[in-house]
Amino acid sequence: MLFNSLQYLIFFVTVTITYFLISHRYRWVFLLIASYYFYMCWEIQYVLLIIASTISAYIAGIYIEKVQKSLFKKGILVLTLLFNAGILFVFKYYNFFNEAFSIVLYKFNILYEAPTLKLLLPIGISFYTFQVISYLIDVYRGDKEAERHFGLFAVFLAFFPKLVAGPIERAKNLLPQLHEKHEFDYKGVTDGLKLIAWGLFKKMVIADRLAVYVNQIYNNPGEYATLPIMLATVFFTYQVYCDFSGYSDIAIGSAQVLGFRLMNNFDRPYSSKSISEFWRRWHISLSTWLNDYIYTPILIRARNWGQAAIICSVSVTFLICGLWHGANWTFLIWGLLHGLMLSLEVVTKKSRKRIKKIVPKEIYDNISMLFTFSFICFAHIFFRANSVEDAVKIINIIFSFDFTNLNLSVAALSQADFFIAFLSLAILEGVQLIQSRVHIRQYIAKRGLMYRWSLYVVFVSYILFFGKAGSEFIYFQF
Amino acid sequence: MHTNQILKEVNNIFIDVLDQEDIVLMRNSTADDVEDWDSLTNMRLIVAIEKHFNIKFTTSEIQKFRNVGEMCDSIIEKKK
Repeated sequence: MLFNSLQYLIFFVTVTITYFLISHRYRWVFLLIASYYFYMCWEIQYVLLIIASTISAYIAGIYIEKVQKSLFKKGILVLTLLFNAGILFVFKYYNFFNEAFSIVLYKFNILYEAPTLKLLLPIGISFYTFQVISYLIDVYRGDKEAERHFGLFAVFLAFFPKLVAGPIERAKNLLPQLHEKHEFDYKGVTDGLKLIAWGLFKKMVIADRLAVYVNQIYNNPGEYATLPIMLATVFFTYQVYCDFSGYSDIAIGSAQVLGFRLMNNFDRPYSSKSISEFWRRWHISLSTWLNDYIYTPILIRARNWGQAAIICSVSVTFLICGLWHGANWTFLIWGLLHGLMLSLEVVTKKSRKRIKKIVPKEIYDNISMLFTFSFICFAHIFFRANSVEDAVKIINIIFSFDFTNLNLSVAALSQADFFIAFLSLAILEGVQLIQSRVHIRQYIAKRGLMYRWSLYVVFVSYILFFGKAGSEFIYFQF
Repeated sequence: MHTNQILKEVNNIFIDVLDQEDIVLMRNSTADDVEDWDSLTNMRLIVAIEKHFNIKFTTSEIQKFRNVGEMCDSIIEKKK
């Protein structure tokens, strides 16, 4: 069930009330049932996959820890990783690699025709599989004790707020919390609800509205001139942020109501002054995962190669990052573009430092922000385009600087919708600006009753009036 | 080798690799305390340290260092 639906509202309220009424001893059972029910609302049979991952990781974790011989330790780790990554690979990447393989062979005049699999992508699989991988490696490294309680471990993987689109949680953060007894905490509940409301605002009012414009243009790029295409690209950049961070807010807020602290997934990413900074602020649970389990291990092993070490580890990391988003050349290119920019930043670090000393800070920072944001938008062309050909077409139109047609309007998006979109974006940017200096939820909590409830009523009405309900989140497809 | 001596030599390596003259390391110093000490420069520092002391850290040792002190302890162990 979608977070932005009445169904979820009923489900969530029921689960929360029941959770606090049951004794702590049975809460994990209830959470597990609720989480599997939540998952099965999407696809019933695919729940078997997450159960298979859960059982394999649970057993492997215990034996990796128990076994003394390092060869056996490594063997269990590798086998279990292959099993879980294998499931992900088959459902997500088999067709893509199969096709790529046949294209390569065709260049050598070998005709290769293996059948493609007709498989649906099980929802959340990219997220919980990465969680499994992180758990197994953490146990192997001795950074985390293996979890002995099977039920709690199952909840760790299936916990419904983060099950379908993250954050990708770490065992060190979530498992201890599952062991703790949670008391009903009024502040946690109100803070969580505020965060959920904010997420719904971003998703239903902003993201879904901008999507109308973006879809019209990106699904028929050939029909539009430079300006609408540029606007659609900037709109998409905001759309994907509001969609995904909105989802994360609802996930984190829901967990907070239940008394859990999930990790922060976004930190005002478009205020970044470099792509390196961007990846510390965007999809933080994924970027830290990539850093801890791909980037750093490669870099450590390649440390004697000098600059080549960095280029190598950055390239591999962003290749994986791109592919993680989807089995498509467009995502691969998007990832590699970011990898390329990051490598450039590393290589030019010293010269940029020199420039920084000469140029006034305000100017340097603002230009960096503008440049970074422009690059992010540019890379997003590949992220959103339906194909590489479309992306190239779009880039050509943008750089043709065809300003003959300044008509920005699009049939599907009315003038009123445009206005609401811009107003809401202004609210978004305003709130985020304040966020950089003030803890907003705390600030609101300290105000009087009238202030708070007027704000709640106005804000929720705004969402209900201008929000579009019941649409899917972008990151469900990953 | 004495830990203070090691710390002094590591400090000099940091000054050299990060190109900053005002670095003063303590046993509990971490990347948060030193400007420009990030995951990338970390590797350059490790390589320089290994070269200077003529030792080799294992991958898991490197991943486990939480501060300068722990790195120094590992150096002392290897120089025994």
